[in-house]
Amino acid sequence: MGEWTFIALLFIISLILPAVPIIAGRLLGPRKPNPLKNSTYECGVETVGDTWVQFKVQYYIFALVFLIFDIEVVFLYPWAVAYHQLPLFGVVAGIVFIVTLAEALIYAWRKGALEWV
Amino acid sequence: MTITPITIAFFIMAAFTLGGSLGVVTNRNLFHAALYLVLALFGVAGLFVLLEAPFLAAVQVLVYVGAIAVLITITIMVTRRIMGVTESVNRQWPLAAGVSAIMAITLGFVVLDRFAGKLPVAAVPGDNIVRLGEALVNYDAYLVPFEVASVLLLAAMIGAIVVARE
Amino acid sequence: MQLPILESINLMAVLPVLIIAGWACVLLVFDLLIPRSRKHWTAWLALVGLLGAAVALFFQIGHFARLGSEAAFDGMVTVDGFSIFLQVVFVLTAIVGVLLALDYLPRHGIERGEYYVLLLFTTIGMMIMSMAADLIVVFVALELLSIPLYILSGFAGMRETSEEAALKYFLLGAFASSFLVYGIALTYGGTGTTRLTGIAQAVTSDALNLPLTTVGMGLLLVGLGFKVAAVPFHMWTPDVYQGAPTPVTAFMSVGAKAGGFAALIRVLVTAFPAIASEWGTLIAVIAGLTMLLGNIVAISQSNIKRMLAYSSIAHAGYILLAVAAAQRSENASFAIGAVVFYLLAYALTNLGAFTVAIAVERDDGTGTEIDDFAGLGKTRPWMALAMALFMLSLTGMPISGGLVGKVFVFQAALQAVPGDPLLLAVVIIGVLTSVVSAFYYLKVIMVMYMREGEGKAVLPLALKTVLAATAFGTLVLGIIPGPVFQMAQRAMLK
Repeated sequence: MGEWTFIALLFIISLILPAVPIIAGRLLGPRKPNPLKNSTYECGVETVGDTWVQFKVQYYIFALVFLIFDIEVVFLYPWAVAYHQLPLFGVVAGIVFIVTLAEALIYAWRKGALEWV
Repeated sequence: MTITPITIAFFIMAAFTLGGSLGVVTNRNLFHAALYLVLALFGVAGLFVLLEAPFLAAVQVLVYVGAIAVLITITIMVTRRIMGVTESVNRQWPLAAGVSAIMAITLGFVVLDRFAGKLPVAAVPGDNIVRLGEALVNYDAYLVPFEVASVLLLAAMIGAIVVARE
Repeated sequence: MQLPILESINLMAVLPVLIIAGWACVLLVFDLLIPRSRKHWTAWLALVGLLGAAVALFFQIGHFARLGSEAAFDGMVTVDGFSIFLQVVFVLTAIVGVLLALDYLPRHGIERGEYYVLLLFTTIGMMIMSMAADLIVVFVALELLSIPLYILSGFAGMRETSEEAALKYFLLGAFASSFLVYGIALTYGGTGTTRLTGIAQAVTSDALNLPLTTVGMGLLLVGLGFKVAAVPFHMWTPDVYQGAPTPVTAFMSVGAKAGGFAALIRVLVTAFPAIASEWGTLIAVIAGLTMLLGNIVAISQSNIKRMLAYSSIAHAGYILLAVAAAQRSENASFAIGAVVFYLLAYALTNLGAFTVAIAVERDDGTGTEIDDFAGLGKTRPWMALAMALFMLSLTGMPISGGLVGKVFVFQAALQAVPGDPLLLAVVIIGVLTSVVSAFYYLKVIMVMYMREGEGKAVLPLALKTVLAATAFGTLVLGIIPGPVFQMAQRAMLK
């Protein structure tokens, strides 16, 4: 459990670090609001329209492709860790897995799913 | 029950999981519900850590908190007219709550009945990732599901692109 | 570096699956290379792959007859009479699925090569499902079966009904899968293994956590109940069957259902023989409800696809009755034989009926009302005759496979009555609902022959072939069922 203590500590510190300035600002700062100050980007371009707009479907395809290869990583990671102990058969089995997923990549690429339009 | 740092950590993670899940089902803004889902999934990752399954915790963060949560938020963002929906469209929630309660009681009873006050049967071996890796490609273990999973991912990729690009 | 013992992997045992899987991967790349106007090449090549698998299966039947069943991958999958018989059904259904789509897709302007590739993928899922001897394999096979079907049911994406079908099927299917996974997890928690034989051993030993395992089994039943469209998990069926492109409906009404039953039987009979009377009673109750609801609601349907959807729910009830009869180990062999025979008869009849529905359907997806069949008796006498045969077979009238299937199912259930008196009541429900089903099946025949109408239908060669083959098969099963039923009986699980 030893090393997890550090992660727990890190987690707590990472919560405190951003929380302290925000809370301190709330408590200590003077409060004189005006419309300009309350705008989303006080010193930037003014926002136009609603925040809840419909995004391009391209985002969705990218996310799906990412998800599929993310899962591939999950499967391949233990395989790669065990690589030194694996018999030849196990290595071949992993390669078959990779080749199948490579085909998925080729398909996505040929169908133009990787391009931003 | 003695209070140890682990029990405290457990209760924090359990609170994340349960609180997040409650937020998902009670929140009427879909986008906010998705953010609560991230919290719940993160809590589950914490529970995996406490169960000494660091690989599963990493998978939970990588796939669920990382990819699936991103996918869900993006799906909400690309869906027309769904972002601003704040009223409930389903009147069957009392029924759903009843069914869920029955299931929760059954499962809770079954688990408590058997496992209350018991200690883990076997210690977790230190090299479990290596053993998992070997099992995945070993013909007398999980080779078939492993290869079928690759075909499944291929089919899912084709499906995603067919659906999205028509 | 040691080489694995090839006997324990036994690649030959899964050769048909390997052929289709490899072929599907080749076909996917091939489809990327050919121009859009030549997509029918992909269809023909998909047929070639399926015929290759059929040949491999043919050799396996001979091999199996000599050597009996065998395990592959050290018991992760089992190749026995049961799985070979069902694999034949799946490959035949897939061939029909391709033939039905050959003209339908271009006519409706939805021809894409992915249709055939996804069809092959879901066929692999079904075939692995019938062989699965481990719950993990059951799960990945079920997903491989389902995900391409979700896509295929939304293949006519510009039609709102098709989109709705895909979404409904996907949401409820994913929900059902989560039940299945939960069931697998609890079963594993209760028994410490996912191998079906290992679970069976654990159930009889003391190390078992029986409540956990029983709840796990219940959740497994929920997950698989969705796939076979049993009441109360049937809600998706009418909308999905109606909205999906008709060749997809035909394919999944047979394939997905048979796949679900394959897993259901193997899991229940192999893994849970010790609590057979519990699941037997549960399945018997579900069977009764399914027969009642499917048949009664079907009466009021005016759309042929929707009517056939409720009819498929009803038939799931009859098959479930035989599954419930498999609870007694003495007559499990007969009951399983009845299930696979019924599945084959249902497959032929239902594919034939959907073929007629495709012929009558117009290019914009309309023409699926039963009234559109009016006048077919005059304009298309042979097709009307075939449709009449299919309707009679679905009702369970003489000289059709449907009757023989029903007789076997009821006989199996009656044999099991001494162990479970409840089955007698369910058999009575089954007989009565069969009579009720005559109302809506005979209505189609009546509309075809007695009502005046345009009787328009498009019947290209591919559809004619399917129609002739399925009608012939239905007749053969009805007139000389003996040989096939003997084969089905040998389909007893190892």
